[in-house]
Amino acid sequence: MTIVSGKAEARRTLQSARSDVLRKMWEHRADYAYVLPAIAVMLIVIAYPIYYTIELSFFNTPPGLQLRDKIFVGFNNYGAILTSGVFWQVTFNTLIWTVASTFFSFALGFAAALALHRDFIGRGVLRAILIIPWVISAVAASYIWKWIYHSDFGIIGAVLVELGWASRPPNFIDSVSTVLPSLIVVNIWREFPFAMIMMTAGLQTVPEQLLRAAKVDGANAWQRFWHVTFPHLRNVSTVTILLLAVANFNSFIIPWIMTGGGPSNASHIWITHIYELAFGRQRWGVASAYSVLLFIILMTLGYFYVRALSGNERKDGGA
Amino acid sequence: MSTVSETIPRGRSARRVRIDGWRWGGRAFLVFMLLYTALPMIWMLLTSIKSGFAAMQFPPQWWPDQPTLASYQKLLDPQNSVGQDFLRFFWNSLIVSTATTILSVIVAVPAAYAFSRFTFPGRNFLFFAVLLRNMFPAVIFLVPLFILMRAIGLVNTHGSLVLTYLTFGLPLAIWLLKGFYDNIPVQLEQAARIDGATRFQAFVLIVMPLSAPGIIATAIYSFIGAWNEYIYAYTFLSKNEQLTLPVGIQRFFSENTTDFPGLMAASFMMSVPVVVLFLLLQRYFVRALTEGAVKH
Repeated sequence: MTIVSGKAEARRTLQSARSDVLRKMWEHRADYAYVLPAIAVMLIVIAYPIYYTIELSFFNTPPGLQLRDKIFVGFNNYGAILTSGVFWQVTFNTLIWTVASTFFSFALGFAAALALHRDFIGRGVLRAILIIPWVISAVAASYIWKWIYHSDFGIIGAVLVELGWASRPPNFIDSVSTVLPSLIVVNIWREFPFAMIMMTAGLQTVPEQLLRAAKVDGANAWQRFWHVTFPHLRNVSTVTILLLAVANFNSFIIPWIMTGGGPSNASHIWITHIYELAFGRQRWGVASAYSVLLFIILMTLGYFYVRALSGNERKDGGA
Repeated sequence: MSTVSETIPRGRSARRVRIDGWRWGGRAFLVFMLLYTALPMIWMLLTSIKSGFAAMQFPPQWWPDQPTLASYQKLLDPQNSVGQDFLRFFWNSLIVSTATTILSVIVAVPAAYAFSRFTFPGRNFLFFAVLLRNMFPAVIFLVPLFILMRAIGLVNTHGSLVLTYLTFGLPLAIWLLKGFYDNIPVQLEQAARIDGATRFQAFVLIVMPLSAPGIIATAIYSFIGAWNEYIYAYTFLSKNEQLTLPVGIQRFFSENTTDFPGLMAASFMMSVPVVVLFLLLQRYFVRALTEGAVKH
């Protein structure tokens, strides 16, 4: 197949039976100008880093050495990761962190969206207040909660003592057994509003007539929810849960500022661990290998994400 | 529909009780959520108007005995070093966030429009490639981006942050806006074309004004994202006079670990601009999500 010149192409009719990709691209050459800036930015800031991370994962960079003096070590970095005990501990923490945060953020956000669906006085104000934690900076949120959990002067500890439920304020974030749940509570505080916004938007697309028809047919509140509302929200739920899962999997700020991964790695999750390996201990090769493993996990999640989204697209095309 | 007609009608009284139960359950739940959401913020405010001594007491002063605005005065006073730093960080955040917002809109609007209207080869691939950016954590990009920024001479400049933040905001911005454009009838543009407008004129004169709410939502989203960003600012900037608020506050309070009223006052003031902006414009944001992300 020869590359068709613009002049020859002009003579052809648009209804040409052959679907020549190059010709089509040429026809649509002006369209690309619209997406070019977005694609260019993405390429510089995404494609290059991905390539560089993969390359670096096969090298060792002893501390004190310049990055360009890296030493090729093959798959050693990967082997070192998978045989280390810290890896499994951090993976376990990440799993708990991601699943618990995602589940409770979604459940609370969805429930709040449902409870706020019926109009009442002050609904707008209440909704606005519930969204605020999502808007404020995670750094500010981390400091607020660090102060609330403070082992000497924290308000939760003080309330527990006042009520007589504890003899002295508990160490929420300084103790191995309570640190992860305590941080998850903070993360849910920041994230449930996102689920609430998404599900509020989703609820508005449920056709009123269907709900009214169901009511006329005698369906009770739960039946209307389960048989009419919920099926309509399946797509938006999937997208919301995936976005939450990815965001939680990629969390950094809350554990980093509140505990720095401690005590004894009990609140280290993947991202904080990678950050510490790279910028704390200068082990760029191992950190990059971690990142590549992370890519693989995220690409798997991404596959479902795209499928959920293109599921929407296809339905759109059919309608 | 079939599922609905299959459901069994229940007795009137039983249904009454059930619905009321749901309603009261909903109210109780909302009260719980309000407490969960608001109490930490109220405690932040109450702590910020205490003196350092009053904050460090056990049992705590539930309500400050002697409320004082000293922490705020200290942070906002250009005469002392704390105030100078805080105001500079504030200004830096404002510059970086505003620049990011403007560039995001300029880049996202044409891209979203093209993804919505045109059917060029590779459209779906490029669209999902853009969305996939959301999948990757910032940490992965830190090292290579740092090296890249050094190569193009942007390390320790606000430009490095603006360029990076642009890519966070773009995927969702493009996605939201695309949904918006999908809902603007093509016929409007066709009419303009028949009246002699070029495709670009039709875009600027017809589509842009109609999509203003979507653009506003996109702008808010970009601004908030840039304002709150921490990791890149933490890694890319080392000079004190260039830090943005989240990093600046962290640096400052890692040196003054016990000044909790100051820390709470700073957290509050860091939150004010984004919260106000969001509350003023949240209507557009929720609408953009409804139109864009959800409806399809």
